Amino acid sequence: MTTATDIIGNVFFLAGILFVFVGMVGLLRLPDVYNRLHATTKIATLGTFGVMLSIAIKAGFSTMGLKAITVGIFLLLTAPVVAHMVARAAHRSGTKMWTGSVIDEYAEDNKREKESQI
Amino acid sequence: MRQYIVYALALGIVWCFVSGEASILNFMVGSVLGILIIWSLKKLYQPDENVPYKNIIARIPKLATFFAILMIEITKASILVAKIVLWPKLEIKPGIVAIPLRATKDVSITAIANTISLTPGTLTIDVSDDLAKIYVHSIDASDPEALKVSIRDKLEKYVLEAFE
Repeated sequence: MTTATDIIGNVFFLAGILFVFVGMVGLLRLPDVYNRLHATTKIATLGTFGVMLSIAIKAGFSTMGLKAITVGIFLLLTAPVVAHMVARAAHRSGTKMWTGSVIDEYAEDNKREKESQI
Repeated sequence: MRQYIVYALALGIVWCFVSGEASILNFMVGSVLGILIIWSLKKLYQPDENVPYKNIIARIPKLATFFAILMIEITKASILVAKIVLWPKLEIKPGIVAIPLRATKDVSITAIANTISLTPGTLTIDVSDDLAKIYVHSIDASDPEALKVSIRDKLEKYVLEAFE
């Protein structure tokens, strides 16, 4: 029984570490702020959640396990809000998108709204 | 008033989880702290006095389906983005797409926006002032119509069932 939980915990732990690693590689490789947010705030969050899950599985229903679950749930709840606020602030302050970007309907709609107000 | 008490008790349970000790005394400490938090943040929220509690209980199976679908989608999309990041040649076509919404309630729009943000490859940037459109940054926006259809059929359908 102990070995089974250990193995499952280790699998989650390795998967989590792998996702954190991929997130950091993405932060270095992807071109602009919006694409980098994809890598850091989400893949890395999923990785951290995996690590927390593995702690919870290994520690079981104890002080450490409960805390790990709580931290994981809080991460899942707050990460999207942070990503949204950073992206919105970047766009509003006029950060340019990467030259390879194909479409920007947000800027088009904002421009149309400004013109209709005048 | 009844709503505040329910929220305070829920915060008490959260306090038990955070402090890692589930006892009556700890739960009471958490509830008192919860009352203080709710009292200090009361002005930020309009209390909705007649929340149908029976409705929430009846919706639990649909919420469970929603979370199961969400976890599957997140895992699938994570692997997809990991592939993009680790591919030797960077082949991305990022862009911001406006996606029309069918949801009208604040709760469901928040749920949709957070779900989109949590799924790797898509990121909510803003909601239009009339709550009719949501702006999504996608790492692969080469086909905006397909993205609109996939969000409407895969995510919004389950959110509408679970929250409205």
